[in-house]
Amino acid sequence: MTTLTHIIPSLVASVTGSLVQDGHADAAGEVGHAAEQVSHAVSQGITPPVDGPLWIALIPLLPILGVVLTTLCAIFKVKSKLPAFLTVGCLAASFGLTVAMYQHLSGMGPGSTVVVTAFEWFDLSWGAGEGQRFQADFAFYVDTLTCLWMLFVTGLGTLIALYASEYMAQDVGKGYSRFFMAFNLFVFSMACLVMGENLLVLFLGWEGVGLCSYLLIGYFYKKPAAVEAAKKAFIVNRIGDLGLLLGIFLTFVKFGTVSYPELWPLVEPYIQMVKSGHAGDVPLTVSLIPILLMVGAFGKSAQLPLYVWLPDAMEGPTPVSALIHAATMVTAGVYLIARMYPMFLVSEYALPIVGWIGALTALLAATIGMAQFDIKRIMAYSTVSQLGYMFCGLAVLSSTGAAFHVFTHAFFKATLFLCCGAVMHGFAGQLDLRKLSGVAFMKGWGIVGIAMLVGCLNLAGFPFTAGFFSKDMILAESFVTAGPGYGAIGWILLITAGLTAYYTFRVFFRVFVGPKAFEPGDELHEDHGDDGHGDESRPEAGATKFHPHAPGLAVNLVLGILALASIVAAGAYFVDKEDHGWVGRLVHESSANYTGSAAFLEHGDGAHRLEAGATGDGEAGAVEHGEAGAAGHGAAAAHGSFLGMDPHKAMYYVSSVVGLIGIGAAFYLHYLGRTTAARSKADDLLPALGPIPRWAQHKWYVDEFYNAVIVVPLRVLAHVFHAIDRLLVDGVVNLAGVLPRFVGSRIRPWQNGVMHGYAVGMVGGLALLIAAVVLLSM
Amino acid sequence: MILALLILVPLLFALGVVAAPAHRARFIAFLGMLVTFVLACYALFVFNWDFAANRTQLGLSIEWFPKLGLGLSLGVDSVALWLIVLAALLGPLCVLGSWTSITTQQRTFFAWLLVLQAALTGVFAARDLMLFYICFEFTLIPMFVLIRVFGSTNRKAASVKFFMYTFTGSVIALAGLLYVVWFAARSGFGWTLDIEQLSHIAARMPAGEQAFVLLALLAGFAVKVPLFPVHTWLPLAHTEAPTAGSVILAGVLLKLGTYAMYRFVLPFAPVAVMEYAPAIAVLCIFGIIYAGLICWVQTDVKKLVAYSSVSHLGFCVLGLFALNVTGMTGSVLYMINHGLSTGALFFLIGFMYERYHTRSMREVGGLASKMPVWATFMVFFTMASVGLPGLNGFVSEFLCMLGTFQADAAWAGVEGGTPGATWGVLGPWFAVFAATGVIVAAMYLLYMVGRMCFGPLVEPAGHDDDHHDESDKKKLPADLTFREIGVLLPLAGLCLYLGLQPTPLMRSIEAPIKMTVRLVQSANGISEIRPPMSPRGTGDPSHEDGAAQHDGRGAEPLGTDTETEVVR
Repeated sequence: MTTLTHIIPSLVASVTGSLVQDGHADAAGEVGHAAEQVSHAVSQGITPPVDGPLWIALIPLLPILGVVLTTLCAIFKVKSKLPAFLTVGCLAASFGLTVAMYQHLSGMGPGSTVVVTAFEWFDLSWGAGEGQRFQADFAFYVDTLTCLWMLFVTGLGTLIALYASEYMAQDVGKGYSRFFMAFNLFVFSMACLVMGENLLVLFLGWEGVGLCSYLLIGYFYKKPAAVEAAKKAFIVNRIGDLGLLLGIFLTFVKFGTVSYPELWPLVEPYIQMVKSGHAGDVPLTVSLIPILLMVGAFGKSAQLPLYVWLPDAMEGPTPVSALIHAATMVTAGVYLIARMYPMFLVSEYALPIVGWIGALTALLAATIGMAQFDIKRIMAYSTVSQLGYMFCGLAVLSSTGAAFHVFTHAFFKATLFLCCGAVMHGFAGQLDLRKLSGVAFMKGWGIVGIAMLVGCLNLAGFPFTAGFFSKDMILAESFVTAGPGYGAIGWILLITAGLTAYYTFRVFFRVFVGPKAFEPGDELHEDHGDDGHGDESRPEAGATKFHPHAPGLAVNLVLGILALASIVAAGAYFVDKEDHGWVGRLVHESSANYTGSAAFLEHGDGAHRLEAGATGDGEAGAVEHGEAGAAGHGAAAAHGSFLGMDPHKAMYYVSSVVGLIGIGAAFYLHYLGRTTAARSKADDLLPALGPIPRWAQHKWYVDEFYNAVIVVPLRVLAHVFHAIDRLLVDGVVNLAGVLPRFVGSRIRPWQNGVMHGYAVGMVGGLALLIAAVVLLSM
Repeated sequence: MILALLILVPLLFALGVVAAPAHRARFIAFLGMLVTFVLACYALFVFNWDFAANRTQLGLSIEWFPKLGLGLSLGVDSVALWLIVLAALLGPLCVLGSWTSITTQQRTFFAWLLVLQAALTGVFAARDLMLFYICFEFTLIPMFVLIRVFGSTNRKAASVKFFMYTFTGSVIALAGLLYVVWFAARSGFGWTLDIEQLSHIAARMPAGEQAFVLLALLAGFAVKVPLFPVHTWLPLAHTEAPTAGSVILAGVLLKLGTYAMYRFVLPFAPVAVMEYAPAIAVLCIFGIIYAGLICWVQTDVKKLVAYSSVSHLGFCVLGLFALNVTGMTGSVLYMINHGLSTGALFFLIGFMYERYHTRSMREVGGLASKMPVWATFMVFFTMASVGLPGLNGFVSEFLCMLGTFQADAAWAGVEGGTPGATWGVLGPWFAVFAATGVIVAAMYLLYMVGRMCFGPLVEPAGHDDDHHDESDKKKLPADLTFREIGVLLPLAGLCLYLGLQPTPLMRSIEAPIKMTVRLVQSANGISEIRPPMSPRGTGDPSHEDGAAQHDGRGAEPLGTDTETEVVR
C-alpha cells in the first residue's frame, strides 16, 4: 500500500501537468470573464468558488484505482478475496479524503465553495462573442451539499463493500473481481455525479451509474430475469436521460454555460422575477428547463411514470440493491433537483409537478409494497415510496427535509437491505415472507434481528428515530407550504406514512419474530455458479438436510455499524438547531438553499413576501406563498395549518400516532396468534377486500399496461419497418435493377449477327437523324 | 510527397503480395499496412498544426493538361488527414484480424486489401476533382472482389448490389461535380478542377442551379453514407462481407459519403443547402429511428450492427447540416469515432463467427461464460456505440445534437437572449426527435449484448469442444487469442482516450471547419463566425437570410481573392 500512496499523487501530478500544458491559450481572458461574474455573484451574496487543493480530485480517482486493481485481479485470475479488500481499501481512503474535504470546507467558513479542475474535457468555440463557446471541464465543485452526499456515498460504499466481501464469497475466482470492478466504477461515477462542476460531468456520472447499475443488476448473467431487469433499468433510465440531456441543451443555449458557479448569477434575475410576482415574464425557454431536468430525475430516482425498473432491479446481488438501489444512486434525482434548486424556483409549475409526482408515487408504491411477499421487493417498493417523500420535500420548499431524509434513509434502508440479504444468503435465496418465521431467535441471527428492528423502526417513523425526524420535516412542511393542492399532498403523505409503518412491520413480524419455521430457497451454494439461480420448482429433497448458516463476522460487523449509524443519524437533527440540524446547515450553505441570507430568497423578508404572496394572483402567487411560509417561519407559521394547529408541532404527535397505528395493525394481523409461517390473520381479512389485494399484488398491472401500450406497439412498428425495408424500399431498388435486365432481354435478340438486320438499323437510324436535323432547322 | 507515398506504398506492397508465395502474403500485407500507418503518423508529425497555417498542406501537384485544368494534385486539411490516419490505423488491424480467417486465395485477399487502402487514402488526399472521383469510384472494385470472393453464402447478390447501387449514385454525383466545373469555366474563371477554387466560385451559382447540384451530389453521396431511403445495399453487403471487409466498409468506406458531403455538398451549394437542410435533417432523423427499430428485431447480429450504422450515420449527417461549428465538429468526430467503435464491433462479430460459423442470435448466445474476454470487449464497444459519456461515441453524438439544437435563427429573437445559440435552419425540435434515437440505440444494442453475451449459453448444434476432427490443430481457443486482443486493445484505448480528451482533436479540426461554416454563412449573407467582437444576436439573421434567399444568389459576390481573405 505504501507504494500506492506514492503512485497516486505522481499520477495526479502528471495528469494535471499535462492539462496545464494544453490548457487555454486565452486563460487570461477567461479569468477576467469569471472575475466579472464573480463580482456579480458576490453582490448577490453567493460566495464565489475558489480553486481547491488537488487532492480533492483523488476522491473520485481512488475508486478508479480500485477499478484498475480489480481488473488486474480479473486478468490474473486471482482466487482469493483480494479484490474485495483492495476495494475496501480504496473506498475507505476515499471516505477519509471526503471527511478531510468536509473539514477543509468547514475551515473556510460558511457558504464557501471550492472548484477543482482535473482536466479539460470539452472546449469548442465558434466565435469570439460571449457564449459562443461550449466549455465543460472535468472539474469538481465542492460545497456543503456535495460533502453531505459524498460522505454517505463513500462511507456506505466502504461498509457495503466489506459486507459484500463475505456475501459474494461463493463467487471468489469467478465473478468476484468483476463484481468489485463494477462496484468501484459505481462509486467513481457517483462521485462524478455529485462532485461535477457542470451539468456535463454530472451527466457523465449519471450515465455511468446507469451503466454500473446495468452491469450489477445483470451480475447473475445466466439468469434471463436478471438480464431482462438490467436491460429494463438501463432503457427506462435512458428515457429519463433524454429529458436531462435536452435540459442541458436548453440550459446551454439559454445561458451560454453549463457550469454551476457561472449559472447561479444568470438564473438570479429570473428568480427575482418570480419573487416579485411576475412569473409570467419568465420566458418559456427558461421555465422549461426545470421541467426537462426533472424528467431525468424521475427516471433515476424511480418516480412515476418511470419507477418500474427499480423493483425489477432486485435481481442483482443484495449489496448492490443496498448501495445502488436504495442508498445512493436512486437519490441522484433528489440531488439533481437540490443542486439545480435555483433553476426550479424560476418556474411556477416545476415544483408543484415534482410534489404531485412524488406524493402519488409514494402512495402507489406503498400500496404495492403492502401486497408483496418477496421481502426484497417490499423494500424496493418502500424505496420508491420514500423517494416520493424526498421529492415532496423538495417541492414543498423543504430541501432540508428532503436532504435529511435522503441522509437518514441511506442508513436505515441500507441496513434493511443488508438484513434481507443476510436472510437470503442464509436461507439459500429464500425471500418469501410466507416461508420464513422467527429468524431473529435462531442461533447466530441476533444481530441481524436487532439491526432489522432498528431499520424497521426508522422506516416506520417510530418516535425519536432518525426516520421519524426526517419524515416529519417533510410532512410538516407540506402542510405549511401553500401551493396547488399542497394540503392534499400532506394528507397523502400522512396516509402513506401509516401504510409504510404497516408494511414494514408486516415483514418484521412475519419473518423475524414469531414461531421458528423456515423453508430454504432454491439456491444451494454448491451449484450456485453453475446454473445461476435454478428454476423455481426444485424438489423439496434438499430442504431436509438444509441448515441455515448464520452470517459471519463481516456481515455482522457491518450490520452493527449501520444499525448504530441509523440511530445516531437522529442526532444530526439536534446539532445546529437554528438551521434545522446539521443536514439543514449543509443544505443552507449550498445551492439548494432558499432561505439563508446567502442565497436567492432572503430569510428576513418573509413578511414582505407574505404580502406579495397574498396579493399575488392565482397560480403565480402560489409558490411565493410557500416560500413565505417556509422562510418567514415564525411569522408565517399561521399561514399553513394542520387542522388549525401549527403543523411543525402537531406533526410530531400526529405522525407518531399514525406510525403506531400502522405498527399496531401489523402486530395484530401478522404476529398475534400466528402459529405457522404461511398464514396469519391478515389472510382471513383478504376476502373482504375483494380483488384489490390481488390487483396490488400484481403491481396494479402497470408493467402489463406499459407493455401493451408502449413495448408491443413499438415492436410491431419495428417489424412493419423491417418488412417495408425489405419489400418496399429495397423492392424499388430491385425493380430498378430488374428493369434494365428486362429491357436487355428484349433488345438482345436484335444483336443476332445477321448483317442485313444491322444494315436496316443503320439506315433507319440515319433517316431518323436526318429527319430530326431537318425538323429542327426548320 | 508524403501523401503520394501513402498511396504508393500500399500499391507496391500489393505487388509484393502478388509476387510472393501464398503463405507469406499476410506477413507482407501486414508489413505494408504497418509502413503505411507509420507514414500516416509521420504525416501527422510534419503537418503544421498552427491555427493560422492550418489549411490545405503537404501538397503535391503534377500538371498534365493545364488548359483543361487536368492534373494530379494532392493535399490535405486536418479533417482529411485524420481520416487518412483512421484508414491507416484500421489497415494493419484488418490484416491482423483476418490472420486465420482467410484460408484460401490469401494473395488475392491481401493484395486487394492493400489496393483498397491506397484508394481510400487517395480519396481523402485528393485536391482535384479528377483524382477524387477516380479514387472514389475505384474503391468499389477491391471491395467488390472482397465481397464476391471471400463473402458468405449470399455473396454474389450482395457484391453486385453493392457495386451497381453505389456506382449508379456516384455517376449522378459526377454530373453534379462536372456542372460546377462547367459553371466555373462559363463564368470566366477558366477550366479548373481544383476543389478549393471551385468551392469559392460555386457560391456565385444561382440558387436554382445550386439546388440541382445539391440533389445530384446527394444522390451519389447519400447512397454511400448511406442515408434512408437509399441504404438497403448496406445491410446486405455488411452481412456477406468478410470481417476485414466489414470493418473497412463501416470504418472508412461509409465515411467517404459523409466526407464528400462535407467537402463538396456544403461548399458547392451553400445557398441551396440552407434551403434543403431541414428536409435532409428530417430524412436523417427518420432514418435514425427507422433503422434503429429495425435493428431491434434482427436475429442476424451482423445485420443488426449494419443497420446500426445507418442509424448512427444519421446523427453524423444531421450534425453536418446543422451548418454550425458545433454540429460540424461533432460530425467529423462522428466519422472517426464510428469508425473505431463500429469497426471494433465488426471485428468482435468476426472473431465469434470464426468460431461458430453462424451469425444468428438464435443459434449462438450467452457467450460471457465461454468467452469472458470477448464479452468484456463486446460490452465495452457497445457502450462506446450507445454513447456512454466518457467514451468517444458520446462526444460526437452530443455535439451533433447540440449543434442541431442550437442551429435556429429564431433563437436570436427569444426573450432575454440566447448566448448559446447559433445561426441555422434546424432547431430544438429536430434535436428532440433525433435524441429519441438515443433511447432506440440503447434498446437494440442492449438487446444484442443481452442475447450475445448474457443469458444461458447457446451454441450451434455440432459445435463441441470435445469433438476432435482433422482440423483440430488449427482450431482457435474458446476465448480470444492474444492476436485478437491485440487488434481490439488499440481501438479500446482510443475510444477511452477520445472520450476523455476530445478537445485536442476538436481544436485540430477547428480551422477547416470554421472555414467551411464561414463559406456557407457568407453565401447566405450571415457573418457569425467572422471575428472579432461583434456580439452576436445584434443583427437579425432571419431577415438577412430572407434577403439572401429571395433573389436566389449569394448576397456577397466572392472574388478570386476570397481565398486569402478566408484563410487570413
